[in-house]
Amino acid sequence: MNSPSHATAFATDAVVTASAASDFVAAPELPDILPPVKVRRGLVGFLWRHPAIAIGGALVATMLLIALLAPWLGTVDPTTVAPARRIREPSAAFWFGTDMLGRDIYSRVLYGARVSLGVGFFVALLASLAGLAIGLVSGFLRWADGFVMRVMDGVMSIPPILLAIALMALTRGSVGNVITAITIAEIPRVSRLVRSVVLSLREQPYVDAAVAAGTRTVTILLRHILPNTVAPMTVQATYVCASAMIVEAILSFIGAGTPPTIPSWGNIMAEGRALWQVKPYIVFFPAIFLSVTVLAVNLLGDGLRDALDPRMKKRL
Amino acid sequence: MLNYVVRRILATIPVMAVVALFVFSLLYIAPGDPAAIVAGDQATPADVERIRESLGLDRPFLVRFGEWVWQILHGDLGTSIFTNLPVATMIAQRIEPTLSLMAVTLILAVSVAVPIGVVAAWKADTLIDRGIMALAVLGFSVPVFVVGYLLAYVFALELDWLPVQGYTQLREGLWPWLENLILPAIALGCVYIALIARVTRATMLEVLQQDYIRTARAKGIGQGGILFLHALKNAAVPIVTVIGIGIALLIGGAVVTETVFAIPGIGRLTVDAILRRDYPVIQGIVLLFSFIYVLVNLLIDLLYTLLDPRIRY
Amino acid sequence: MNRRAFLQSATGAGALAATAGLATPAISQRVAARTLRFVPQADLANFDPIWNTQYVVRNGAALVWDMLYGVNADLKPQRQMVESEEVSGDRLTWTFRLRPNLKFHDGEPVLAKDVIASLARWQARDNMGLMIKAIQDELVAVDDRTFRWRLNRPYSKLLIALGKVGTPSCFIMPARIAATDPFKPISDYVGSGPMKLVRSEWVPGARAVFEKFSEYVPRQEPSSWLSGGKQILVDRIEWVVMADPATASAALQNGEVDWWETPIADLVPVLNKSRNVVVDIADPLGNIGSFRMNHLYPPFNNVYARRAILTAMSQEDYMRAVVGDDAYWKPLPGFFTPSTPLYTEEGGEILKGPRNLDAAKRLLDQSDYAGQPVTCLVAQDLQIAKAQGEVTADLLKRLGMNVDFNAIDWGTTAARRAQKSPPGQGGWNMFHTWHAGAVCVDPSSYTAIRANGDKAWFGWPTSEKVEAEITAWYEAASFEEEKSAIGRLNRAACEDVVYAPTGFFLAHQAWRSNVAGIVKGPLPFFWGVSKAA
Repeated sequence: MNSPSHATAFATDAVVTASAASDFVAAPELPDILPPVKVRRGLVGFLWRHPAIAIGGALVATMLLIALLAPWLGTVDPTTVAPARRIREPSAAFWFGTDMLGRDIYSRVLYGARVSLGVGFFVALLASLAGLAIGLVSGFLRWADGFVMRVMDGVMSIPPILLAIALMALTRGSVGNVITAITIAEIPRVSRLVRSVVLSLREQPYVDAAVAAGTRTVTILLRHILPNTVAPMTVQATYVCASAMIVEAILSFIGAGTPPTIPSWGNIMAEGRALWQVKPYIVFFPAIFLSVTVLAVNLLGDGLRDALDPRMKKRL
Repeated sequence: MLNYVVRRILATIPVMAVVALFVFSLLYIAPGDPAAIVAGDQATPADVERIRESLGLDRPFLVRFGEWVWQILHGDLGTSIFTNLPVATMIAQRIEPTLSLMAVTLILAVSVAVPIGVVAAWKADTLIDRGIMALAVLGFSVPVFVVGYLLAYVFALELDWLPVQGYTQLREGLWPWLENLILPAIALGCVYIALIARVTRATMLEVLQQDYIRTARAKGIGQGGILFLHALKNAAVPIVTVIGIGIALLIGGAVVTETVFAIPGIGRLTVDAILRRDYPVIQGIVLLFSFIYVLVNLLIDLLYTLLDPRIRY
Repeated sequence: MNRRAFLQSATGAGALAATAGLATPAISQRVAARTLRFVPQADLANFDPIWNTQYVVRNGAALVWDMLYGVNADLKPQRQMVESEEVSGDRLTWTFRLRPNLKFHDGEPVLAKDVIASLARWQARDNMGLMIKAIQDELVAVDDRTFRWRLNRPYSKLLIALGKVGTPSCFIMPARIAATDPFKPISDYVGSGPMKLVRSEWVPGARAVFEKFSEYVPRQEPSSWLSGGKQILVDRIEWVVMADPATASAALQNGEVDWWETPIADLVPVLNKSRNVVVDIADPLGNIGSFRMNHLYPPFNNVYARRAILTAMSQEDYMRAVVGDDAYWKPLPGFFTPSTPLYTEEGGEILKGPRNLDAAKRLLDQSDYAGQPVTCLVAQDLQIAKAQGEVTADLLKRLGMNVDFNAIDWGTTAARRAQKSPPGQGGWNMFHTWHAGAVCVDPSSYTAIRANGDKAWFGWPTSEKVEAEITAWYEAASFEEEKSAIGRLNRAACEDVVYAPTGFFLAHQAWRSNVAGIVKGPLPFFWGVSKAA
């Protein structure tokens, strides 16, 4: 690209030349190149253009680190009771204070991150896998579609929290059961999404061509359809993760979730609610962590959606 | 149009059948002995045997399912193992507070969220828009009970503007009834408002790009007229859809809100039932609310015909 | 106008206002002043005080059913439904005459046959009742207002048995209801007491409503605990169940409820600061926290395992978890209420002094604990049980035991603890509760101290030594003999670990300043309580 000075020099020449023939009107000076736009390349550029992903991703990463590194971040055993030092306000010794049994809330919140993030992640993963399978089958195999979608509609008609509660009522409270219960409630949403993607892809010429060429259905699904579902599914998975974390907190809050012996953000808030008026920090800290994490995951989802395919905005 | 209505109504029957089948089968796919689960934690082995007989586990599954559906169609949702009252009675005793809460939340949420979404779309990409959308994401993220406690603390305890808990029946006066429901409705409605506002904004944005809007503007119609007469009407279908789907959020959130504000509704009944592992009660509640949800969405589907004459599938 | 007619007319006016549709605010304000809203310690899920010995049931039952006798604030039984009693010279024959004009809520008069039937049902479930039954020759109705009880040995505590606070208290029901199997709950709640249960407004888990029974004839004496005239000065009492202490506290401060039975100790400072709320100790006789171990099944069928628990447990931890502030609890190296004449610490060394985890572990090894799960019932909706349960779970973990933590509710606890099945099949190994200090003063109404195996309270401890000392106390001729019997009893109870006392603590109650007449006692007494508008 020519530099501006070169252009001006060129223009000046023209003016000089033009003014020599004085009966010519000088053309207005037009810059023929615009200042170059500096496009930042690479990851940093990408993050700069998509602040939602940057902020959301950073927060999620922080939470993940906190959860993984919990034992080394100045924590003590989160389940040891020590009633002698119960309900201490946050201080240098106990950064988030202690609860009514003397347990260190900072430790409980950090270890609780493991449960909440674990539940969120595994529900997102399992629901995605199951939903993907169901959606692919239902979208591509017309004879299965009607039946499967009716079933999914039915399951979706049950409000997710009630479904999770009903499933938890059948079993003992444990992290595994909570994950299973919430997953079952989230599968229909994912399967619907995958199905709609598949339906729109099914009409594409290259899929028709593959079918005509006699490619096996499985191969078509895996090679042509599946890669196109990855983007919307990833976005949906983040929403499922956020939703799962909130549902887990609610289940634990009403006593139907993780057992009281395992600290989770919902549990800690449930136990702190009797003293909300006098010692709000017991509910406050896990609430902040939960809200920030869910916010971050939602932001991440929004950002991914905008970055991967702006057209997804309509569908999601 | 009648054709459409009838077809839509008929279409809900298989959905309800699936719901019923699913809820019925939950008991049998869960680990453990179904009779022991129904009999509950406090049953003696003799009780469990008695329940096993009444469940008739030796009979084929479909026969049992058919009988159970027959009972439900006659209004018999089973009997609570804890109080020995019919589940239907227990639900009837407590349905008014929950329905009141849901109704007030619905009205509140729609009246707040739709205008907010419209404004956000109108002022797209400005500070207002980003601010509203940020608040919306926040609304999704803070759990219902945290919002509830915050509101109770600030407005009920500190400022003493509203009662902190409880429920007053409608027949004791409109304002007392409403007073008790304002804070819970706001708490419950946060997520709902966020959801509706987002969808309203997204749909409005699309609609505002349309040619007929440009025509309307060219014709000189004022901003308000454009937004509300032309754009919103056309955006109505997805918005109303989301309102319908979001009712599931209300139902689920009512469970927690009622706990925080001590409202003696179905949500509290659910929480008590789960603590006691009173499975028939939970089953009855899940079934009832699923049916309500299906019916509400049916009504909304039927509402489409009023909103958008093009819909005639 | 005599008092009865006055009461009836006032009731009539009040009832009329209550049912007249609450059209204007003035009327509803007046009605509100006639309604007392009370937050009970737990949900009233079922309402049979003989079948279910939980305190919450007894507290409600005290409104609905009357008793033959009632203890006063000195724990001395006074006549209630009985007008006069006659004891034969050899103290073997008791003849009781009922007061005139006693009625049930359905209008039927209270007859001696109703009393006989109620006594029979009560005896089947009550320890003192069983003792009396073992020595009784006959219990018959002589005429409509008189009944006779003939024993073959003297039983000095007969009147205490009939008037005691300890559950099950001896409530008088209609004969047809009392005919229900004592091991099954009643379903009809027609009573003889000053208030009726309003069945149509009873929502288990949410509320219970009691309405004044206009035809109740209270005694003339001033009331004192369960004795004296049970004057009800309000028209309605609404029990509003609030499982969440924060909600109850806020509701009390805002005037949405009038009286809270069990404010948790941590919220007492907040309530104290509130201008319109009065907080006080509920009962100076306090409470003894406890957890019961199941003596029928391993591991706690072995005394070494039980002693291991006592050696390792820290009453300080338990009590702090329950009441927090050190002002409200005392360590209790024994089983009897402190600051009472018979209090003793004899034999309680195992509960005193610094805790020795190693010694406890050695004791546990001695008991051949094989790592089986210990099923712990922890009621989540009752703060005392919940707090103790958490401390226990931690204790068992530190001892290296395998904890099966069952987070259930108080109502389910009542049903489940009655199961004698093995822990893996619906049974239990431990549950947490507490006992009113008023009951633990001496062995007479102290059901929980009995160690007669199958007939004992839940946990079914067996200890001949304990039973022998209880008998010795009953037969003691002087106070010194009583004291030495209690001392030996305490020692035996500690050695055989009848149950595990977690400490002595004081509980509070809180009410609005416009409510008058609330007294300290082991249960909330609603008579004499009035509310200014």
